[in-house]
Amino acid sequence: MGGLQKKKFERGAATNYITRNSARKKLQLSLPDFRRLCILKGVYPHEPKHKKKVNKGSTAPRTFYLLKDIRFLLHEPVVHKFREYKIFVRKLKRAYGKTEWSAVERLKENKPTYKLDHIVKERYPTFIDALRDIDDALCMCFLFSTFARTGKCHVQTIQLCRRLTVEWMNYVITSRALRKVFLSIKGIYYQAEVMGQLITWLVPYQFSHDHPTDVDYRVMATFTEMYTTLLGFINFKLYHSLNLVYPPKMDIQAESELKEEFEEDYAMNSESYTEKLSALSGSLARVVSTEEEEEGKLDQFPAEGEDVEKMEAREKEQKQLEAQKKLFDGLKIFLNREVPRESLAFIIRCFGGQVSWDKSVSIGSTFDVTDETITHQIVDRPNFDKQYINRYYVQPQWVYDCVNAKILLPVEDYFLGVTLPPHLSPFVEEKEGDYVPPEKLRIMALQRGEKPAQEQEEDEEEGEEDDDEEEEEGDDDEVDEEEKAEEKNLKKMEEQKSQGKSLQVKVTPGKVKAENPARLEQEEKAEEKRLAIMMMKKKEKYLYDKIMFGKKRKVREANKLAAKRKAHDDAEKTKKKKARK
Amino acid sequence: SRRLRRMAASQPGFLTLKPSSDPTDLVGGRRKRVNKNKKKNWNKFSDITDVEEFLEDVRHQERTTGGLLSEKSDDSLFFVDLGQTDKAEQNAEPDEGKKRKGKSTRPLRIDLILQGDSFIPPPKDVLAYQKPNAKKLRRIAQKAEQLAAKGVVPRAQKKLLNRRLADRTVKKAVAEANNNPDRDYYDMWAQKSKSPADPWCVLQTGKQQVKRPKKLNQKPSALPAVEVIAPGGSYNPDFLSHQALLQEAHEVEVKKKKQEDKLEKQLAVNREDKATAETALREEVEGLIEDEEDEETSPNKEDEEASGAAITVTEKKTERQRKKEKAEKRKEQQQLSVKRQTVQQQQLFQLRSIKAAIKQQEQQAKKRWSKRKEKQEAQKAQPRRLGKLKFQAPDLEVQLRDELAGSLRQLKPEGSILKDRFKSLQKRNLIEPRERAKFRRKLKVKYVEKRAFKEIT
Repeated sequence: MGGLQKKKFERGAATNYITRNSARKKLQLSLPDFRRLCILKGVYPHEPKHKKKVNKGSTAPRTFYLLKDIRFLLHEPVVHKFREYKIFVRKLKRAYGKTEWSAVERLKENKPTYKLDHIVKERYPTFIDALRDIDDALCMCFLFSTFARTGKCHVQTIQLCRRLTVEWMNYVITSRALRKVFLSIKGIYYQAEVMGQLITWLVPYQFSHDHPTDVDYRVMATFTEMYTTLLGFINFKLYHSLNLVYPPKMDIQAESELKEEFEEDYAMNSESYTEKLSALSGSLARVVSTEEEEEGKLDQFPAEGEDVEKMEAREKEQKQLEAQKKLFDGLKIFLNREVPRESLAFIIRCFGGQVSWDKSVSIGSTFDVTDETITHQIVDRPNFDKQYINRYYVQPQWVYDCVNAKILLPVEDYFLGVTLPPHLSPFVEEKEGDYVPPEKLRIMALQRGEKPAQEQEEDEEEGEEDDDEEEEEGDDDEVDEEEKAEEKNLKKMEEQKSQGKSLQVKVTPGKVKAENPARLEQEEKAEEKRLAIMMMKKKEKYLYDKIMFGKKRKVREANKLAAKRKAHDDAEKTKKKKARK
Repeated sequence: SRRLRRMAASQPGFLTLKPSSDPTDLVGGRRKRVNKNKKKNWNKFSDITDVEEFLEDVRHQERTTGGLLSEKSDDSLFFVDLGQTDKAEQNAEPDEGKKRKGKSTRPLRIDLILQGDSFIPPPKDVLAYQKPNAKKLRRIAQKAEQLAAKGVVPRAQKKLLNRRLADRTVKKAVAEANNNPDRDYYDMWAQKSKSPADPWCVLQTGKQQVKRPKKLNQKPSALPAVEVIAPGGSYNPDFLSHQALLQEAHEVEVKKKKQEDKLEKQLAVNREDKATAETALREEVEGLIEDEEDEETSPNKEDEEASGAAITVTEKKTERQRKKEKAEKRKEQQQLSVKRQTVQQQQLFQLRSIKAAIKQQEQQAKKRWSKRKEKQEAQKAQPRRLGKLKFQAPDLEVQLRDELAGSLRQLKPEGSILKDRFKSLQKRNLIEPRERAKFRRKLKVKYVEKRAFKEIT
């Protein structure tokens, strides 16, 4: 046919992509600079669908970028700054080589710098956009702020990161936004709710650094550079949303409280203020000093049918949240020197508690150990002698578990020397029919306001064991009975679950008459359901059976796990007994 | 010229310093005749040396004494030499000698040389004291004073002040590094985003601001920024969740081991390839013992090849054959068309089954489509191949039962968060996985044994 011969790789995918090296050449940047630019601008490599078409027939693995992105990068003013910096380095090197110290001095004075403000604005056109992307920024800043100042990265960067993280923590404290905490073997996970966004971040434990060799520090530093800028602007906005002064200032009251005689012992004069801020023990100053907080109530709308239920549920949630926010209100907690101070102080202050520590641990302590009004003292060492009667001595896990359970858990399980209950992850949300560890069940019962019966029995059991060893047979019987009862319970639960109902384990003791209508209603409902099942079409019935089977299987698996757990617990118990003997 | 001379000489009290210049000598000299009606000749031939000498003398006097000697009083010119001041001078000298040691008292010689020795005061520069437009300026100054008293700053000054302030802020911003710990932030999202381009900028440059490609706002991966560790990773985990995590880690290890084993198996030497005593012997005897069977079979093969070559030659078809073939072909086609027609007619009765088949096909297509979609969704959370290297998932952080600490104080953190973050960035396709660049020596190292070392060996 007529027309020119079509040439290969001149249209389609091949023209949409550009290899990294050619992109670099187009921008006239060195590879590290190019990489930095891409990270700052949020331009990431892209894997084409048909590599062979893009790579001009070759299948060699290459890094590709979208050509449009690279064209966009060409307009970035920071590129010029990068070139300027390159030239600056060259001049500086030359001056050093020629030992022209005055030239070195002058060059250093005029070192080219650049700002990333416009890039932040461009990448996050609205505040909410920025807030959604803050997880990474927080992780990175917290990580960098714990680095030793050994030259792995700029000291200034570390300082800036520290400042920003302290500002963030102070904001979370003032807005009481923290929701979940999880102590993992890696680090501490926090989750906060800021302006309706759930924000999760990971904080390393103190002094836990070994510098891995297979991490590109330059790349990480570039990310951090971007993120510090972002976090700073977000902090500013957040502080202003709460009418707080930015950069943060201590309340006058708090400031006077924290005045100490020997401040110079802790930090230099120039640093003591920031150190005090980072102690997290004082409240922040507001632009308009209004002490009483406005209680924002949900607007009431007349609603019908399902909406009413939803509204009620929402209201309930709101109430729960309010209660959680005031979890530690009125508690005075003293931290011993062996517990992680910053994390605990942060959490306790987040939920309204007062916190202090020994003067020699850190700056910013507000009261002494000898204070009689202290309600809890957090201790994490096996033997601890000097004790006050009017305060609880608990292990640090109590604080974390209280936060996750949203109630003040009984302190007995967390006393000194007691084996702690497991620290459960608050980030796991069990669906209906999943296996729920017994500890969580207990906490759920406590949340509902019940005093778990099992625990009492256990206590009794232990008491008996202490009293007499001969009575063991009886104990065993008891245990057997318990098991039987539990099995019955489980069976019941299974049945209920198989009928697709949520578990409403409400125990209303001693009212026989009140129960009857409820039961009748229930029976009626069950009857209705059975009839509905009978009336189903064959196809629907098949589907229904399948779903029910799946549910049953889940329940069975959960039961299996529960049995396993029971067996494990029993084994542990017997072991303990033997050890005691 | 003569007149001039006469005038100078007739001046009262004129004393010449040079006694030789006598007016009579000048008169007695021989004269040259020159036309005096030309200005050029006036300049050339009129003798003015005496005048100049005289004036020079006057200037000299003024320079050295500060005025004409004739006008000076006698007291200032002469003094009575008594000859008794010798002692006083002698007394003064040692003092001076002491003083000489001090550097500060005596001026440097170079300064002395450069110091003017003339007694004539420098002429007053009149222009220096005069100002052009002095009156106007004075009036302006007066007005400005009045305004200043009122507190009004003139416009030019205001402009300058403004500029200076702006300059300062700009300079500060430039000098401040991006990671300066005391840097200040502002409300970035306060002002409503204006029209895509600043009108001033557009007017000046004639260029629109470049828009950010929309595709850049999509995240390259569906994974969350922070993946929370499994509940088994708690510092004090629940028994079963801990077991689950251990199981997971175990499976990963098993998979790794399997791959390693596979590789090893592939690399291992095949047992059949190994030399045994038998094979070694056969190799040694190779070619010495001739097989008789081989000789017999070989000629047969040659015959077959020859016959194969002969078959390829074909004879030409006759006219009759061609006609026959044509007829056969036509017939076949007719048969086919008839068959097709009957089938089509039959299909009318198969309508239902055809419909069912179509439905089934469609269903299958739909199923495949949904499956593909599902796969694509799953792919979104997977790390892509972005470079030479594939993404290598980091090891799971796990502590065994006996490694777990009983309390928070004794907890030994596992893994590095830095590495975790780095891997997370790679996993989310934000950066491509890379290896650390290996150090390669550009120039060869030349080894030379030193003599001392050589002697020992």
